[in-house]
Amino acid sequence: MGFRNYLLKRLGYALLVLFIILSLNFLLFRIMPGDAVSMIMDPKFDLATKEELRSQFGIDQPIGTQYIKYLKSLLSFDMGRSFNTRRLVWDELKERLPNTLTLFFASFITTAAVGISLGVFAAARRGTFAENFVTGAGLFAYAVPGFFIQLMLLMIFGYYWPILPIRGTMSAPPPPGAMAQFLDRLWHLILPAGSLMVISFGSWALYTRNTMLEALGQDYIMTARAKGLDKKTVLYKHALRSVLPPILTLIFMSLPGAVTGAVITETIFSWFGVGKYLIDAVMQQDYPAAQGAFYLIALSVIVSNLLADLAYGLVDPRIRVGGGAK
Amino acid sequence: MSKIRGGNGNNVAQEPPKKLKKVTFWQQYRRKPLGMLGLCIVVVYVLAAIAAPIITQYDPTKDLFLADNLAAPLWMKNLSEKYKDAPVTISKTVDLDGWNVTEGADFSITKTTYDEEDFMLIDMPAASSSGEQDPMMEILKDIYTPEELAEMFGASAAAKTSFSMDFTFPYNYSPPNTFNFTFDYAVEGSSPEATTVARLLIISPSGKEYDIWGMDAYGDWPISYITVDGRDVPVKMRLGLGFFDDPSKIILSEKGDYKVKFMVETDSSTGAKIYITPVKINIPGLLHGILGTDHMGSDLWSQLIYGARISLLIGLTAAFISVFLGTTVGIISGYVGGAVDEVLMRFVDVLLAIPSLPILIVLSALLGTSVWNVVILVAMFSWMGTARLVRSQTLTLKERAFVEAAKASGATDGYVMVTHILPNVMPLVFSALVLRIPSAILTEASLSFLGLGDPRVPTWGRMLQNARGFGAFTVMAWWWLLPPGLALTFLSLAFVFIGNTVNEILNPRYRERS
Amino acid sequence: MAMLEVKDLTMYYKTLRGYVKAVDSVSFELEKGKALGLAGESGCGKSSMATTVLRLLPSNGNIMGGSVKMDGKELVSLSEEDFRKEIRWKRMSMVFQGAMNALNPVHRIGDQIMEAILAHENVSKQAAKDRMLNLLDMVGINPKRYNEYPHEFSGGMKQRVVIAMALACNPDIIIADEPTTALDVMVQAQVLTAMEGLRKKMGLGMILITHDLAVIAQTCDDVAIMYGGKIVEYGSAKDIYLKPRHPYTMGLVKAFPNIAAEKQKVRSIPGSPPNLLSPPEGCRFNPRCPMATDKCRTEEPPLVKSQKGEQKVACHRESEIEEGVDIWQ
Repeated sequence: MGFRNYLLKRLGYALLVLFIILSLNFLLFRIMPGDAVSMIMDPKFDLATKEELRSQFGIDQPIGTQYIKYLKSLLSFDMGRSFNTRRLVWDELKERLPNTLTLFFASFITTAAVGISLGVFAAARRGTFAENFVTGAGLFAYAVPGFFIQLMLLMIFGYYWPILPIRGTMSAPPPPGAMAQFLDRLWHLILPAGSLMVISFGSWALYTRNTMLEALGQDYIMTARAKGLDKKTVLYKHALRSVLPPILTLIFMSLPGAVTGAVITETIFSWFGVGKYLIDAVMQQDYPAAQGAFYLIALSVIVSNLLADLAYGLVDPRIRVGGGAK
Repeated sequence: MSKIRGGNGNNVAQEPPKKLKKVTFWQQYRRKPLGMLGLCIVVVYVLAAIAAPIITQYDPTKDLFLADNLAAPLWMKNLSEKYKDAPVTISKTVDLDGWNVTEGADFSITKTTYDEEDFMLIDMPAASSSGEQDPMMEILKDIYTPEELAEMFGASAAAKTSFSMDFTFPYNYSPPNTFNFTFDYAVEGSSPEATTVARLLIISPSGKEYDIWGMDAYGDWPISYITVDGRDVPVKMRLGLGFFDDPSKIILSEKGDYKVKFMVETDSSTGAKIYITPVKINIPGLLHGILGTDHMGSDLWSQLIYGARISLLIGLTAAFISVFLGTTVGIISGYVGGAVDEVLMRFVDVLLAIPSLPILIVLSALLGTSVWNVVILVAMFSWMGTARLVRSQTLTLKERAFVEAAKASGATDGYVMVTHILPNVMPLVFSALVLRIPSAILTEASLSFLGLGDPRVPTWGRMLQNARGFGAFTVMAWWWLLPPGLALTFLSLAFVFIGNTVNEILNPRYRERS
Repeated sequence: MAMLEVKDLTMYYKTLRGYVKAVDSVSFELEKGKALGLAGESGCGKSSMATTVLRLLPSNGNIMGGSVKMDGKELVSLSEEDFRKEIRWKRMSMVFQGAMNALNPVHRIGDQIMEAILAHENVSKQAAKDRMLNLLDMVGINPKRYNEYPHEFSGGMKQRVVIAMALACNPDIIIADEPTTALDVMVQAQVLTAMEGLRKKMGLGMILITHDLAVIAQTCDDVAIMYGGKIVEYGSAKDIYLKPRHPYTMGLVKAFPNIAAEKQKVRSIPGSPPNLLSPPEGCRFNPRCPMATDKCRTEEPPLVKSQKGEQKVACHRESEIEEGVDIWQ
């Protein structure tokens, strides 16, 4: 069965990447000048804590043993304690993860929906304003720094017309009532998620338009038209359906980029998420926290890559049924 | 663009052979309007980068406090009621020639230097008894020594010498946020028990006197650095103002000629030498230059112009290193093939799977923030696309007759790669290079924006970061936010235009891909 | 009255640099059950001809004039919706060039055939499926494979599927645009034979578009030779293949070796096809014609009955060409 082999191959590959990233994460914090513990050690710690840390890191053991220990601890999400809060890094990440996921899915779904439908729209109406708009928006998204657009949107909607909250995931104190809280969170979500959509829908729309146009130029579209199918059937059943594999791949391939975008977005809008946690940790030289956040982000990227492969395999009959090489 | 079915398209494309003469790259390039636009934009940036010291008179990082922090651009006074009368920075140093001596004109007033600084030396003669004195003192002075007299009648009873001088400066703006005076002051040669009192007063156009500084020196007084700032609490106390009152708003609320008066009075029996440096008066403007100032009162226009240097430098260098790496790996991987190819390509895959911005964040935090670290990091995580592209091109080149021929004639692999493969992938490499530049520029800007750039160099990303972090939003300082963002946008757009045009000319087959 | 009558059909592509005169005042007829070959070099307008008749033009293709009549009914003026519903596939279907790409890779072949049936006929899904299976059987494909995807078939088989699809709605005319170009020679022959058999059996009219005169000679009753968007010679396949009267046709016949004939020089026609943005004055073939005179360069020759043969020829100097003389010597 071709699909299973394909899947196993991709899974193995994802594990390889995970392993390499873990090793990199291990090495990065050890190739630095000075001894690893003094580097990771918060000078504010008292002697006993330092001793405990030393034994915890097992700095006296050979590097191989250390490495295996490190792998084991990370696989069980044991990322040590934050220098700043003295709390377990994983506990802190767990608090932030839902926020990041909320922002991520909200922006991702709106971006994909707006981008793909605009792209199809533009392809269906060649040479109209819609097409020029999409082409322009695509170029715009490629060349304009996203955080700049986000800053502008923040200035416009947060300060000039102060209609949207400028920071955070919810009001403090939160309004009473579950419904009110939900709406309050939604209200806080608009600017970060919306601005992410604004900066990235263009490339989606452009990509969809291009693949759609390519598909519309294919012989099988001519066949479909010649068969006397109506425009809608030709456009959706034949053209759109046949570009779904590349678009779906794009959806998942842009997951890592979306994670990256979330880091900056969370910083700009003070969104209480994993990305901001990484930046804060890096800024405060809180190495266990930085390492943990990086590990979590890398892991999510690997998983989304795997999802991309899976989705691609499911949607493309050449892989699903086997026979054709990728 | 549109595909014409049935091969009619061929007819359109086919020109009679005689018209097909060899045209140079430049001849083709200059016909492309977008490409030329991109080139023009880049030329403007390069000129700005080179001529930065001529275009702007300030150093973007060293010249601080040129105006008040977050001063608006000068042209804002035409756009906003708020800035209509706003002050521009008044900064001047008044030396001896600028002062107008109003009392004690007969004293010896000279210029001197001490410890390599210019001083005005006011030589105050010993206190004479001819001043207005308590009549009792006149009677008793034959019986007691002056010391005993001073003890009995207090300082005011003693004979005094006074000196005063003033200068005028016009102020025709709305009140500033603060003002400050700085100078060094010392007293020498005074008798130990004497008191030398100095005062600094501001006299408004309507004649109100504000006593903003004073110092009572007993005996000699060492050189001390005096700074009087409108925001200082002692100033507020002297003026009898509350903690939250703003002296500058009160004192400088009028328009017209203000007088600054310096007075000194001593009862020293031996006279006193007053040392005072030329007084520096500074009223930080709320309007400044072409783009205003940042939170440190540093010139934003100069930051913008010098930012072009960094962006171009980082963009070009990082792109160059990245494409160099990518080309090398791509050629070796494609040409050598086999296990080498497999390993290199898997390595490429792994690197592509690593989220680049997070790892750049972590690495730049670990390696420390310097321009070169940023360049190298950006290059290290961006060469993989080029490697893949070059590899696939190399694979097809490898099968071509001239490569076979070269190999058959005994050329070494290295020789073939450098002399046969490399020149043939150059067009691809060149356009990859140009298209790599904007992404390198934007990556650097993102890192700077996150605060991971070199703190010593002005970059557009850092300008945006400062704008966000230091209150550009609360005062709606869009002139702080817009220029660096637009500068980045236009520069990267320009390189995209150039890259696409180059690609169109050199690699028509790859046009669709990029 | 002929089943399909095309008269003075003119179709230009609008481009930024002007009109590309891809089909210029073309006339021909097709009787029921007969086959017409449309031949010419690539880029002569023959495929554009086909897409014009089926009104499958890209957005920049404009029909500038002329008429297409089917059973006496004008098709050019028919509304897009009526044309789609009444004519496409139902009366006229098409087999496209490039067997590889004529089928949508993401749909099962059976679905693609059924889709055509269901779009035009008010029949149940089961009935459509039965007919589809029957069609597959007819073109020599195991009906059990109906739920496979195109990539699981070889090129020749895909082309058979395409043919089965073309027959799905019992059309009167099939337009076959280079149906065998992408296939290798053996498969070409098989596909052609299969197609011929079906056509004869079902009494279909066919317009076969190809650059291969030999194929036309084997399968077609009539031939129209196109050059530069115009028909330069039109008549029965036998006449034209054996006794071409237009210099271009003569060159074209020479360009295809006849395996049966002994020792024949294969020669291509020097020069390249005209740029249809600004075709040559007069006869469009004049820049490449060895017999061109001043008249040929200024005056366009009409398509008229040949003086020495049965076919129609558009050449000023046709009467001067002696039979059997190789003007391309």
